[in-house]
Amino acid sequence: MNITEDMVREIILEVLQEMEAEEQPATSFKEGGTPLSIRETGVAKSGVDKNEVVIGVPPAFGTAMYKTIIGIPHQQVLREMIAGIEEEGLKARLVRIYRTADVAFIAHESAKLSGSGIGIGMLSRGTTVIHQKDLKPLQNLELFSQSPLVDLEMFRAIGRNAARYAKGGNPAPLRVRNDPMARPRYQGLAALLHNKEVQYVDPDKPAQQVTVQL
Amino acid sequence: MSKRQKRFEVLAQRPVNKDGFIKEWMEVGLVAMDSPNDPAPGIKIQNGKVVELDGKPREKFDMIDLWIADHSIDTSIAEKAMAIDSTEFARMLVDINVPRAEIVRLSVGLTPAKILDVFKKMNVVELMMAMQKLRPRRTPANQAHVTNLKDHPALLAADAAEAAFRGFKEEETTVGVGRYAPMNALSLLVGSQTGCPGVINQCAVEEALELSMGMRGLTAYAETVSVYGTEQVFVDGDDTPWSKAFLASAYASRGLKMRYTSGTGSEVQMGYADGKSMLYLEIRCVMLAKGVGVQGVQNGSISCIGVPGAVPSGIRAVLAENVATVLLDLEVASGNDQTFTHSPIRNTARMLMQLLPGTDLIVSGYSSVPNYDNMFAGSTHDCDDYDDWLVLQRDLQVDGGLHPVKEADVIAIRNKGARALQAVFKEVGLPPITDEEIEAVTYAHGSKDVPDRNVTEDLRAIEDFMKRGGNGVDAVRALVKHGFRDVAEAVLGILKQKISGDYLHTSAILEPNFDVLSAVNDLNDYQGPGTGYRLEGKRWELLKDIPQAISPEDV
Repeated sequence: MNITEDMVREIILEVLQEMEAEEQPATSFKEGGTPLSIRETGVAKSGVDKNEVVIGVPPAFGTAMYKTIIGIPHQQVLREMIAGIEEEGLKARLVRIYRTADVAFIAHESAKLSGSGIGIGMLSRGTTVIHQKDLKPLQNLELFSQSPLVDLEMFRAIGRNAARYAKGGNPAPLRVRNDPMARPRYQGLAALLHNKEVQYVDPDKPAQQVTVQL
Repeated sequence: MSKRQKRFEVLAQRPVNKDGFIKEWMEVGLVAMDSPNDPAPGIKIQNGKVVELDGKPREKFDMIDLWIADHSIDTSIAEKAMAIDSTEFARMLVDINVPRAEIVRLSVGLTPAKILDVFKKMNVVELMMAMQKLRPRRTPANQAHVTNLKDHPALLAADAAEAAFRGFKEEETTVGVGRYAPMNALSLLVGSQTGCPGVINQCAVEEALELSMGMRGLTAYAETVSVYGTEQVFVDGDDTPWSKAFLASAYASRGLKMRYTSGTGSEVQMGYADGKSMLYLEIRCVMLAKGVGVQGVQNGSISCIGVPGAVPSGIRAVLAENVATVLLDLEVASGNDQTFTHSPIRNTARMLMQLLPGTDLIVSGYSSVPNYDNMFAGSTHDCDDYDDWLVLQRDLQVDGGLHPVKEADVIAIRNKGARALQAVFKEVGLPPITDEEIEAVTYAHGSKDVPDRNVTEDLRAIEDFMKRGGNGVDAVRALVKHGFRDVAEAVLGILKQKISGDYLHTSAILEPNFDVLSAVNDLNDYQGPGTGYRLEGKRWELLKDIPQAISPEDV
């Protein structure tokens, strides 16, 4: 086969295009994971155990939607976050908040349910908040507002820091990440994903205790 | 795939093709300003009360309809104003022979759907003309973002000093880590007054904390007091028109300047647009603000710009919402403050809509720091674009609020801002700002050039400062004690605004001598060529004199 200069040029271009397409998050997931097997076991109760961190998610999390905006399967998200909490010697309790899909209120309600007063709120697309029960709902301990930037390493570190707060510590907040081009690239998609998220909201249903097989 | 046409391959790599574009989806409100679900204009008044608004009877009003009907619309003029044909009203907006006073007399009688109907008749040139006529304050101005990834106080002070020195009239900060808020506010207060007395500062965080910082004199005004165009989104934001009005009056009762923030796309972004167009919902927000009695609105989509930016006629709708604000005789801080495109071409086009006619605050805010340090997730323009901005002003003879500066002067002012803050930190017992940090921030491009601080120590200290009742007067005392008397007097001048109340007027900014410039004493009188604000005289000499221009004498 005669390899022409044109062919070489074409191949180089194709390779460059492929490289550029992968230029954003280091963790790019080709497969989207699968829905989780989640069981609701009753109304979520306020915890008395100081050694817990409550993780709150909206109704679509893990089921109707099961990966973040950059394609991280929720199964792995939960595994990492819980591992981070357990690394610090605490327990993770998972609840489903039905009345809102607003991450701040999900996190705050989780904190109020938590025996340690510390909660984590997380949307299906990956936006995450570490909250404390005595703070105002729209305040927080730490906020991870750019969902495309939250990767597995961060989910684990979030679990870890939440546990450290829960133990009464004063950990250094996670180093802040920022991508000025996240909005142009992802905001339209985020709007579509949030519109889907809110479809599962039930303002009259109380928070549910859940167990999940990871 | 079949053989590619090489131009298309090149086009595919262009920055504009990295942007997100969505086809219109009427059912959820993913449409800029032309939705079949938007109501037709109409009003029915009985005994001075609005009983039907844009086809909706009073019994079906949601809380936003109710607020607009009972507080925003002037029923004494409504029937006359609504009877004017929309095309004719649009012509009045553009017509240089119809004075501003006549338009704002009638506009308070219009309903949201009517205002939308008027704008649908107008192209962007006509909308820009309307803006040129209707903005309240004659003299245009500009606002800066001052933030960084590390919430580093000395860097904030240096950047605040440079931004004020370059001509920004307002500075806005926020946080990477929430608990840094009062320290960031303090850093801006000291840095801005070093750069230019009279530049006012805000710290965009949770509402109760933001009000508290204002009352303590750590900030001089508030802007991100948000309102929304559908009931569900309002409630999701933990508010109602009544609670937001209460918050606005809390600021007023303490003599603090404030404006609301709204913007197209927020309702659909948050999932509850009731199937209405973005601009229709935004006009409801502006009318709500008018009814509350707030003096101005920041809009132009703001943080949701990616949403109208994704659909057809989105950027036209964004200009229209700015015009809706000034149409109702409110100050407009007109957006241009959030990244929405990878394309520099698209970026410039968007901001020309506000730069060319001039607005009260053309950019709200311009990132005075590199965009990687912009904690609003990026603004349309950052510190690397300064010279482009100055050249555009010079090319077009348009006042964009900034003036050319010399490098040596910027070095000096950044250094002074950081040293002034170092003095304040020393006196009020915050973890020291070292001379090494001052050297770093003086010459820094951004936070990558600045060493880390001990974050947990900072957070503990600022919490303690707030618990002890720390406030702006502490900064004044500290500055005097350490030989920064001029900065101290400027900070005191800012604090005194809360007592004098003059800067509460529509579109108020402060001159370096603390004279107030507002819609009261600097009312826009544009009525065609030879009238209104013109970039001429001393100001034009200042703006055209960019340092890189070659002098003919030298050749």
